[in-house]
Amino acid sequence: MVKVKNFIDTPSQTAGPFLHIGCTPSITGINIFKDELGSTPFTDISLNEEINIKGKIYDGNNEPIIDAMIETWQCDENGKYFNYQGFSRRVTDFKTGEYQLKTIRPGNQINVDGTIFPSYILFWIVARGMNSPLITRMYFDENEIKSDLMFKNFNIQDRLKTLIPYTEDKKNFVFDIHLQGKKETIFFEF
Amino acid sequence: MIKKHQPLRRFPDYKSSIVRSPENEPLLINFSNSEITGPLFNKNILNENDNNLILNFSKNGEKALGQEIFVHGFVTDENGNPLKDVLIEVWQANAGGKYRHQNDPSNIKLDENFGGCGRFITSSDGYYIFKTIQPGAYPYPNRGIEWRPKHIHFSLFGSMFLQRLITQMYFEGDPLIKSCPMVNSIPDINARKLLVGKLDLSKTDEEKILGYRFDIILRGKHQTYFENKIEGS
Ligand SMILES: [Fe+3]
Repeated sequence: MVKVKNFIDTPSQTAGPFLHIGCTPSITGINIFKDELGSTPFTDISLNEEINIKGKIYDGNNEPIIDAMIETWQCDENGKYFNYQGFSRRVTDFKTGEYQLKTIRPGNQINVDGTIFPSYILFWIVARGMNSPLITRMYFDENEIKSDLMFKNFNIQDRLKTLIPYTEDKKNFVFDIHLQGKKETIFFEF
Repeated sequence: MIKKHQPLRRFPDYKSSIVRSPENEPLLINFSNSEITGPLFNKNILNENDNNLILNFSKNGEKALGQEIFVHGFVTDENGNPLKDVLIEVWQANAGGKYRHQNDPSNIKLDENFGGCGRFITSSDGYYIFKTIQPGAYPYPNRGIEWRPKHIHFSLFGSMFLQRLITQMYFEGDPLIKSCPMVNSIPDINARKLLVGKLDLSKTDEEKILGYRFDIILRGKHQTYFENKIEGS
């Protein structure tokens, strides 16, 4: 393991309830930037490859969080990461708490050591009350992750389903995130 | 599992963290391609005044109201290497402590010439600079009504998602910093100091406005070091 390090990295602080001003300013009526980051993860999504993901983030009182921002990061259908696409920025609705994402289904990515990972989308979540971001992943297939070596190292087989969306049909997925309670989503650190 | 220089997720003095933090420990996994890649941004996305909050929302050339300041510094990795092309987004309240946001309940007046956001990209030596006005402190409901120290919110994109950071810069000498539960959620007292922009008079003559220096360090490509993890494990 790499021996760490000369300096410590700058601490995280909450993005607060008004993160929209800096991150999605048009929502607050501010239109000074050329364009907003992450308005779509891919510029030309064809109808036949398009998938829709929606959901809510529930707090410990089972209330949807109405002031969260989610950033997603994913590879394309061939498992390739680019640095100019694959990124999106969504906020939860002020009234309903719902987020919506139109994207494409990512392919299986091949890791540096040649192993193949089940396909997933990275979710990076900030909000008021979160001192640091929460990171999770939405996978598509429960059996795929149950057999994945990475998860076998942990005693969490019964919680793996929290990483799988409810599939309405081939194109429509509901991925709810639960911060606490019996359905608490698995979060990651690296 | 504690990283002492990063805030505790659950810090009861900051009340809303109680229901917005997971009860289980996060799963510590090796990063894969999704963490060591990330979106890259270049200067093409910027308008000329994106780094000038005094002017970027102004009407008829009028300036935003308040004490004009500039904030500048270097973005580096943990070994002090400069990080170029880091996109920084900032947002803040106006001089009276009011945000241009529909959910801000404050009845302080909005400044019609102040939007409150800006963005810019670090140069090849990791340097950034922007101009703004000193934000006001503002009250918020926590354990009763409490006051946030004056602060500017910062969001940074390094070259990989692992480096993604949202934080806040406070102002040297602000007496409200000491009692702020968001600051105090960081166990390591020395790490809290990294969030304080230092009064910097060295460039003030040139700029004719008051300067603050705020350097930012983004993590590198190593696994998180936890205090209770035995080295080599
Ligand atoms: Fe704030």
